[in-house]
Amino acid sequence: MKQNSDPEWFTGDFAIDLALVRNEIGHNSDVHFREFHIGGTDVCAAIIFVEGLTDRELIDKHIIKSLMMSFTGGAVSRDFITNRVLSIGEVAEEQALKSLVAKVLTGSTALLIDGLPNALVLGTTKEKSRQIEEPVSEATVRGPRLGFTETLCDNTALLRQHGENASLSFMKLQVGQRTKKELVIAYIKDIADPDLVEEVKKRIQNIKADDVPESGYVEQLIEDNYLSPFTQVQNTERPDRVFSALMDGRVAILLDGTPFALIVPVTFSMMLHSPEDYYERWLPSYLFRLLRYLAAAISLFGPSLYISFVSFHQGLIPTKLALSIMGTRDGVPFPAIIEALIMEVTIEILREAGLRLPKQIGPTIGIVGGLVIGEAAVQAGIVSPIMVIVVALTAISSFAIPQYSAGISLRLLRFPAMFSAAVFGLYGVVLFALFLCSHLVKLKSFGVPYVSPIIPDRLTNWTDFMIRMPLKKIKRRMKPISANGSTRKK
Amino acid sequence: MNTQQLRRLLCSLSILILLPLAGCWSSKEIENLGFIVGTALDLEKKDPDHNGHLLTVTNQFVTSETIGSGTKDGKTQQKAYKNISETGDAALPTLRNMILRIDKRAFAEHSKVLVIGEELARTLNLQQTLDFFIREQEMRPSGLILIARERASGTLESKNLVDIPAFQLIEMTQGHDRTTKILPPMTLTKIQGKLQSGSSFLLQSVSSIKGEIKFTGAAVIKGKTNKLSGFLNEEELEGITWISGKGKGGLVRSFDDEGLPIVYEILSMKSVIKSHVDGNRISFDLIIESEGRIAEHWDVSEKDFENGYLKRAEQASVKEVKRLIRNVLNKMQHTYQADVSGFGNKLRIEYPYVWEKVKKDWDQTFSEVPIRCEVKLTIKDYGTSDH
Repeated sequence: MKQNSDPEWFTGDFAIDLALVRNEIGHNSDVHFREFHIGGTDVCAAIIFVEGLTDRELIDKHIIKSLMMSFTGGAVSRDFITNRVLSIGEVAEEQALKSLVAKVLTGSTALLIDGLPNALVLGTTKEKSRQIEEPVSEATVRGPRLGFTETLCDNTALLRQHGENASLSFMKLQVGQRTKKELVIAYIKDIADPDLVEEVKKRIQNIKADDVPESGYVEQLIEDNYLSPFTQVQNTERPDRVFSALMDGRVAILLDGTPFALIVPVTFSMMLHSPEDYYERWLPSYLFRLLRYLAAAISLFGPSLYISFVSFHQGLIPTKLALSIMGTRDGVPFPAIIEALIMEVTIEILREAGLRLPKQIGPTIGIVGGLVIGEAAVQAGIVSPIMVIVVALTAISSFAIPQYSAGISLRLLRFPAMFSAAVFGLYGVVLFALFLCSHLVKLKSFGVPYVSPIIPDRLTNWTDFMIRMPLKKIKRRMKPISANGSTRKK
Repeated sequence: MNTQQLRRLLCSLSILILLPLAGCWSSKEIENLGFIVGTALDLEKKDPDHNGHLLTVTNQFVTSETIGSGTKDGKTQQKAYKNISETGDAALPTLRNMILRIDKRAFAEHSKVLVIGEELARTLNLQQTLDFFIREQEMRPSGLILIARERASGTLESKNLVDIPAFQLIEMTQGHDRTTKILPPMTLTKIQGKLQSGSSFLLQSVSSIKGEIKFTGAAVIKGKTNKLSGFLNEEELEGITWISGKGKGGLVRSFDDEGLPIVYEILSMKSVIKSHVDGNRISFDLIIESEGRIAEHWDVSEKDFENGYLKRAEQASVKEVKRLIRNVLNKMQHTYQADVSGFGNKLRIEYPYVWEKVKKDWDQTFSEVPIRCEVKLTIKDYGTSDH
């Protein structure tokens, strides 16, 4: 029953109730209170809404106008008003002040009527969303031009829109302890491993944070190993990428307020794949993928190989090349490691600077920086021209990796590789590679080995790994990911 | 800070200290090296108060200075290489003495060629001379071995400033695909087997005439002593190439009945040596087959596509090839008494028991063995002309 003494509950007395609401949120400048009399009668009513979050036209035409003008006779009762007067889709009753306030602050309109025990909550939320645009961070030549937006329901709609699939399931959760945010776990019911879905759900429920502004927070709070340099959760702006991951048996996490969806579990090879691989014919895709693996290797080991060849193993360079490197390094005052560090750090600074610059200045800085590094530094004899080539090649290679976050981890690891090359030569590079391999083999993302299908080796999955075989040949899903439906064509 | 944290800190610190302490010791920057690209070995005569032999080692160095000055414009050009000679009684001490005279660290992993002077090859066992170079880890196993007529150091000199003679020598051996006058390259790895086997073999010989280097036939190394016993000239080397069948291209210049030249260009050649043993009599059959084309002929009245003419041209070329082979066999059997064309090896394979008996004095036996020779040339092609 109603507890009249409790100030958290509505009493049915209009003045007291209104004062109660006013007391709670009345100090906010964007909360509007509108008091009026219901058409023809002397019954007082008030609507409370937040400016900007609500649809003003809806409020004016379908709430105020209906209540003031179309109220023709009849008693002011809850049933009569909801059933005959309010021409609005979503109407609910609310007894408690706290929950009413929560709804008003997310865009609903509260309606208080003198004599009615409960407040009515009317769905008048106006979604603040932008146009669906092409994803900026993952542009492709061929493929859908759709990208996620900041609005969760738009994003889930994009996935539904992909095609009719009754098994596509969404599970809604809330994250953030002070600022509540909506989060959706998407998966295909009969492909995804139920244990995996349960695990994802559990990890998300365990998130203890005041606020989760971006999916990057979720990513960092649910990943397996936060000390690893490799990302264990993939982020993407592309609905098609999410959908194909779902069809692999993976789970996607969509957070309200960010266009970046997360995909788990992740394997290392996914970082070097692009959705376009499947849209183009298999032969070019096959080669482009190999090229990307090569680019990843260069971006990781390029400068360290240069250092070890130039400072340790000069006998391994072809003679003519060795002579020309020797000639160009004549007069360079630094050993190769210092030379490489200067150039690498410069190019990282340049990249970092270019990232934040306005679009109009970006290219200018690129040209100036490129000229300063490429031309002036060589002219001044600080670095050798070959070093410039190595650094430029490495930088370009790191941009050839389709996943920005994967590119970052390789760029990061380049520096320890360079140091180990400077200390032990090729031996050091090999040691570093072994160290990296042992870490990668141990790493797991939501129970799936990070380097599968190499380890554990499943040759059937190699059809879609470093190379992409013709689509007709890719028949099986990644074994460790999908529990049941291992064959793609059912 | 508790003990565990302290321990962790000490642990990571010691790793950080250990890395530079244990590492970097073998680091040497490329511009501080002096690449030895070629080495010449000579015997020093002027040594009155020394009983043994004195070696002169000449190293051809390429350093960042010599390379750098060659590429930068506006400067007066200097030589692209630097030759340094040092004399001593063994190879390594002599080489180490060079440290006293150069600012760069000598680095032999790009060593391309080893030239041995005529005098040295005649006097000393090659196995002794080459011992260090075969043993040394820094030497490339693919390094080439040449014998110089007269002094070896002369072949590492060039009139042209930008050329590096050691590289020129290497590139000149590539020509062996297109002429029968150059031997297939003999590397440090290959020569080990030859030196151990006790059989005679050939090395490419090179001479330096007024600062220009030229390949001049082959040097005959006697298997018993591993010493140089003499040279074959270019024409004799052609005969050797025909016998071995290892030529990949080249020409046969013969004359037709009217004395006008016909040039046969070799497209392929194959040779088979067959050994025969009849009681104590050993003999060999040499069968040579070759296909080729007419590359040039001066008789304007003849038509290439007439079979009669082709037959005559083939006959003339066969005659010339036979002459070349006879010529060199004569020299091998009678002048040098050295089997450098693998006749003995064939006998070893086909009649191992006979070989066991004769192998001790094979070069002597070989000089009296009859060799029958059969040559078959086929003209497949006469180019883009019909006359």
